[in-house]
Amino acid sequence: MTFAGQLIFAGVCVGAVYALIALGLNLTFWATRTLNFGQGSLMMLCAVVAVMVFDGGFNIYLGLLAGVAVAGVIAAATEAIAIRPITRLTGSMGWVVTTLGVGIFLQGFVSKFFGSQALAFPSFLFSPRDYVSVLGVRLSAQYLIILVIALALVLLFELFQRRTAWGRALQAVAADQDLAAVMGIPVRLVVTLSFVASGLLAGVAGALVAQITGTVDAAFGFNLLIFGFVAAVIGGMGNTWGALLGGIFLGIMEKLVGGYVSTAAEQAIAFALLMIMLAVRPEGLLGEKEFVKV
Amino acid sequence: MNAFRHAMARILGQPLLGLAVVVALWFWAGMIDRATVQLLSFLMLNILLAQSINLLTGIAGQISLGHAGFFAIGAYAAGVLTKSHGISVPLALILAVALTAAVGWLLAIPAGRVKEFYLAMMTAGFGLLCFEIAKEWSSVTGGVVGLSGIASPTLRNLKVLGWTFDAVDLFRAMLVATAIVLLLMRNLVQSYHGRAFFAVQASEIAAGSMGIARGQVKRRAYAISGAMAGLAGALYAHLVGYLGPDSFGIMRSVEVLVMAIVGGMGTIVGPILGAALFTWLPERLQVFAEYQFMVYGLILMVIFLVLRRGIAGALTEPTRFIAVRAMAAARAADTKPAAPAPATNPGPADRPALLEVRDLARNFAGLVALDGVSLSLRPGRITALIGPNGSGKSTLVNVVSGIYQPSRGHVVLDGEEIGGKPDHMIAQRGLIRTFQDPRLVPSFTVRENILLGGQRHFRSPMLAAALRWPSTLREEADMVRRAEQVMALAGLDGVADQIIDSLPYGYRRLVEVGRAIMAEPTVVLLDEPAAGLSEAELGRLATMIRHLRDTGKAVLLIEHHMDFVNDIVDDVVVLDSGREIYRGDMRGMREDPAVIAAYLGVGQNDHA
Repeated sequence: MTFAGQLIFAGVCVGAVYALIALGLNLTFWATRTLNFGQGSLMMLCAVVAVMVFDGGFNIYLGLLAGVAVAGVIAAATEAIAIRPITRLTGSMGWVVTTLGVGIFLQGFVSKFFGSQALAFPSFLFSPRDYVSVLGVRLSAQYLIILVIALALVLLFELFQRRTAWGRALQAVAADQDLAAVMGIPVRLVVTLSFVASGLLAGVAGALVAQITGTVDAAFGFNLLIFGFVAAVIGGMGNTWGALLGGIFLGIMEKLVGGYVSTAAEQAIAFALLMIMLAVRPEGLLGEKEFVKV
Repeated sequence: MNAFRHAMARILGQPLLGLAVVVALWFWAGMIDRATVQLLSFLMLNILLAQSINLLTGIAGQISLGHAGFFAIGAYAAGVLTKSHGISVPLALILAVALTAAVGWLLAIPAGRVKEFYLAMMTAGFGLLCFEIAKEWSSVTGGVVGLSGIASPTLRNLKVLGWTFDAVDLFRAMLVATAIVLLLMRNLVQSYHGRAFFAVQASEIAAGSMGIARGQVKRRAYAISGAMAGLAGALYAHLVGYLGPDSFGIMRSVEVLVMAIVGGMGTIVGPILGAALFTWLPERLQVFAEYQFMVYGLILMVIFLVLRRGIAGALTEPTRFIAVRAMAAARAADTKPAAPAPATNPGPADRPALLEVRDLARNFAGLVALDGVSLSLRPGRITALIGPNGSGKSTLVNVVSGIYQPSRGHVVLDGEEIGGKPDHMIAQRGLIRTFQDPRLVPSFTVRENILLGGQRHFRSPMLAAALRWPSTLREEADMVRRAEQVMALAGLDGVADQIIDSLPYGYRRLVEVGRAIMAEPTVVLLDEPAAGLSEAELGRLATMIRHLRDTGKAVLLIEHHMDFVNDIVDDVVVLDSGREIYRGDMRGMREDPAVIAAYLGVGQNDHA
């Protein structure tokens, strides 16, 4: 029972990070109906920058700050060079390819200049050996703090979206860009800031995952991007609570399969889940079916 | 530049060019060093892979970020079957191709339900799933250590039907296989099957309205594309003799995508050029090999801004989608345009209706768009359906043509209930519609677009089309001839070979109505065909609609242009708020108080 408890606990913690990634995807989905296929590279880049700053003899928190900032800036740049010009030019497929291109470029850049070997990621939140005991189940302190951070960010985000003018502006842009522009909402700025926020979330998620795995390498992000997307799709694309639900569900599934079936199947279960979910209920558990207007 | 592109297109269009290249490569391979033979062998693989993704993404419009998955399945199937099960090389190759085709077909079932980034993510997930299986299923695939010792020229154990293949033999086999695949693919693309792929890419709803079963088209595209990549994988297994999971990661999928996009998606020659470029570059250019993935990333970032249609788009004219020989056969036959049918009086009002709509209703989440409408369309009569905006006219057309499900009521076409049936089945049975915004294939010429209307009359099976069977060509030539007649009727013969995207708006409307005529329907629903047309174009449209009537079709015309309606219709039905408020002739409508109230917003009481 404690084994199952530990697996579920680890699944919830990892799942909360997936929810964070999903939230980053939702943000750009709201603002522009696009997803950044280079989001995985932003997660990787944030962690790599943090390691570089730390190895340069600086404080790890400074490194994390720098990493998250870089992720935010590049996310905004991605929108400006790989999404805005393309959606004006071609059909729906163009931006998938261009944002993927940005991601591949970053991945190639990191493996060229920092090596494709895994870099050790320093422990900045407790050590992997610290634990708290709850009802006889030993819970890793590191996982616990990651869960707290991820949950806090999701809650903060939901509050921000519901209670602030910027949150409402974002909802207006999501509903109808042209109408929002007519109402005097600075659509351009809202879109850019959404991408910045999406990049920041990706950066934080990247740092948290790197904390769990203990290493980071150039190819670190792409699977995470898919995991985040699976979380978003399970919950329903664009739904914050759905993303949290989906992320935690995916995390628990992954850990249970890894614990009881085989760790080899841990990753594969997410990809299988993605295909099943899209085939059976593409609008997600909490989403509403989009109506196709002719 | 255009003259250059035209000249290039003529050179590439030479029927014997392909054969000459194959013969030249065949003999050249015997004279060159091993490394070059190896390079040429990889070129063949890359051509197959680039064409595979081109068929799926460039032609059928289904984006794939997981093509390495098919490649991996083909490679491991060939490797495992020959090495671990002792199956002969040719048989294993056939089994590997069949397996990847089957996987493609199965993948199409979930993938066919989603679009855009959902599809991109799903295919990326498929590729990663295959990668994970290759990596983790150690007992079969060898896991991270890989599968070595597969029959290959290097180990001198590649035996095919009793012969031991060396590197040159294997290259020659790959050359012939690639040439055959390219030939079959060209034939397929230049047939109604290939045009159906493009139609699905341009607009799934429009494709359905022509009787194209989009699910089936997608399953075929995935299966064929999978088979091509699987063939490349099986050949790769024997070329290198060792398989490790790292050859099948996301980067391989990206590489395949880059080759096809840079070469030019949606053409036949483009992916060949792209494959050649990216086979040669890393081999000959040290800098490129070193910065390979950064370069791929940069290319994907800028390609649409710099070279939207790829190298092929810059160097030559686009591939056309009608077999040249079918065109020639159509021209050789008697090409006198059919004399316009003699003007006849409208069909008698009492003939049995071809389309019977009874008490049809449709709600959208509580909003009643259509509230119990009944109408009959009789052969040889034109019925106008008019009403203010939002009165339910387009909803009626959408429910009748199968795009929306009816909430209540019946739709009977020629004695058969069609209410709630899928749109392509309704179109197959002879009910054809046009759209408020013309939905054509933008990269097609006028002739190719008109020809799409004939989809429901084509019968040749896919294999016959790929082999270009004489009966297939005859069928195609017959259809081309009929398309010429339709274009003559519509006054479009002068622009037959123009790309639809380069023509003014009015032409698109006429082409869409022409496409409906080409379908030889029993019932035609025209949704505002006159909107935005000039006087001259209105005249042509009237000729086309009268032609439909004179050939015994039942026509429903939604239109706001009252003078136009007045001149050609026989009966009028007026809708308001989803209900019929008038039925009769034009004159009676103009004086009907309910109609006046609906249009001018005068309260009913003022007329009572």
